[in-house]
Amino acid sequence: MTSVPLVSVFSADDSTKVTAKHIPLPAVFQTPIRPDIVSFVHTNIAKNRRQAHAVNPQAGMQHSAESWGTGRAVARIPRVSGSGTHRSGQAAFGNQCRKGRMSLPIKVWRRWHRRVNIKQKRHAAASAVAATGIVPLVLARGHRISQVPQIPLVVEDKIESYEKTTDALNFLKRFGAFEDVQKVVSTKVVRAGISKQRGKKYRVRKGPLVVYFNENAKLLKAFRNVPGVEVVNVTRLNLLQLAPGGQLGRFVIWTQSAFAHLDKLFGTYRYASVLKDGYQLLRPLLTNPDLARIINSNQVQEKVQPAKTTTVLHEVQKKNPLRNTKAMDRLNPYARKQRAAAIAAIKANTKGTKKIKKNKALKKASRAAFNKVSAALNDATNAAVQEEQDIKVKYFSVQKGAAQAE
Amino acid sequence: MQIDEVVWQVINRGHCSFKIKTISQNFCRNEYNVTGLCSKQSCPLANSQYATIKEEKGLCYLYVKTAERAQKPKELWERILLSKNYEQALNQIDEQLKYWSNFMIHKNKQRLTKLRQMLIRIRKMRLKGFKELIPIKKKAERRDKIREQKALVAANLENAIEQELMDRLKNGVYNEIMNYNSKAFEKVVGQNQVEDEEEREQQELEEEEEDYSDEQLIFDPNDLEEDDEDDEIDEDNQEDDRRLFKKQTFNQLRRQDDQIKDLKKKKPRVQLQYEEEEELEDRKKQQIAF
Repeated sequence: MTSVPLVSVFSADDSTKVTAKHIPLPAVFQTPIRPDIVSFVHTNIAKNRRQAHAVNPQAGMQHSAESWGTGRAVARIPRVSGSGTHRSGQAAFGNQCRKGRMSLPIKVWRRWHRRVNIKQKRHAAASAVAATGIVPLVLARGHRISQVPQIPLVVEDKIESYEKTTDALNFLKRFGAFEDVQKVVSTKVVRAGISKQRGKKYRVRKGPLVVYFNENAKLLKAFRNVPGVEVVNVTRLNLLQLAPGGQLGRFVIWTQSAFAHLDKLFGTYRYASVLKDGYQLLRPLLTNPDLARIINSNQVQEKVQPAKTTTVLHEVQKKNPLRNTKAMDRLNPYARKQRAAAIAAIKANTKGTKKIKKNKALKKASRAAFNKVSAALNDATNAAVQEEQDIKVKYFSVQKGAAQAE
Repeated sequence: MQIDEVVWQVINRGHCSFKIKTISQNFCRNEYNVTGLCSKQSCPLANSQYATIKEEKGLCYLYVKTAERAQKPKELWERILLSKNYEQALNQIDEQLKYWSNFMIHKNKQRLTKLRQMLIRIRKMRLKGFKELIPIKKKAERRDKIREQKALVAANLENAIEQELMDRLKNGVYNEIMNYNSKAFEKVVGQNQVEDEEEREQQELEEEEEDYSDEQLIFDPNDLEEDDEDDEIDEDNQEDDRRLFKKQTFNQLRRQDDQIKDLKKKKPRVQLQYEEEEELEDRKKQQIAF
């Protein structure tokens, strides 16, 4: 969703000169940026260039190895038959064995390619094109575009007739795109790993992508030898080039006719695409994705209720209604009457029964007896205590006397 | 404004070439970032309205970016020279970023302060000169040390000095007799006087039998030519006196050696006091008479 729907076309010879001012931006550049779609489509489409390969089906299996079975104090893995070499009796066949076959050996009939729904592929491409028009995304991807006069960079068709690489280079220098090429050159590195022995010696960055329209254009040969630069026709835009590595925001240089052709290719929000049969550009969920602005806007803030300052989650202390009559009454106002009725019922039940009169005389006698016994007990204990004390006194006095004598 | 949210989502969740992730924090390598941290507020990519301070050749500039120029990377950053006066510079920031978010204004002022402090420090260092830290190279140090020691040994300093001194002696630089080591003395002179040496050896043999009391062995550094005291010796016996004399000469020489050693050591002048001073003097008189 770019906010600048107008674009200038620059003269090929002079970056300060503008040949056509204020060309409207094709609607593709306003499709929603969908990194999720792009990464999904990219991971699958990237697999389509693979060539079938396989491991030799006989690898590791060219032995008549058999397991020795149990009882021989060795593991039960198949062992190479025969004698006369070190190899005999060694383990074979298993993926864990030395010189054994790998587990799940790769077959040629592995599903190398993935099909992706056409609509998804188109949406991804459209999203990727849109991302090329957003400066921060191109910067974040790592392109050096700080000296480029405009993004998206649209140049007059003259560059399509470039034949010499020097022309191409000078053109890039004029438009500040050479910095990106320099980055590619300076960061060319010998690849780590075995791939370097398999034809992928260098790891090279991606530079600018030049998009042209006319089939007779010679600029392919002019730009071919410039490191990092790729050239592609509009009609054959490739997601793998627009979003290398699944990363949105390639630095793209459009020719004027290519730029104009985009509307026909992808269509607009008013009409469907002409060339992609029945394809309609993806509509965004939100036309204005700036959530913060929406929330803080006057229209929303008017309707919003003031924020709650205090929220009571529960009472201070929970009272058990089964034990606390007031709590019970709060819950069940009829409980009071129920309680009263219950008490009345009990009282009514107990009306007929006689009271048991306690025998006063008996009481007196029993008390007297008790007193006697307790008194006796008391005397006995007192006597015992006294006795003990006397002994103590005697003993210690004796001791003292003895000490004094000494 | 519209794209900012989207851009931040894509950059933060996906890949940003300027982002540096560490265990605790994320940093931003973008040259225009005010804080240096990776966050939505301070991301120069995810904010279409942004400002930074940058320093060039001792001057601070305010770089401002607005949404109007978002599509033109070449003209994106407007560059405003800030006054050299700190207060004025702060006011300039306030002016230029009027009605901007507090975060942006505050961070820019902070950055200006930091840069200015850095510049002050640079100036100070240039004027004052600063201690340059040089690393100590262990291997080199170790190697040189060992080589120095070896060189010292190889130089044969003692021998060289000895040679030099001998030469000087022969040339007659030294007029007087100086105190020197008995061994060295013997070396130079001893070859001519072999007989004396033999006599001395005999004496030494004789004297070995005698006992030396503690007092005898006490060395009086002040006594150069005075004789020592021997309690055990019979004063009446002449033979004993002769022995005593010989012994005393021997002891004298030995004392001289010790003296030389002590002089070399530079001991303080010591005064020893003996109880039997009068006896000493009597003995002296007797010897002189003899």
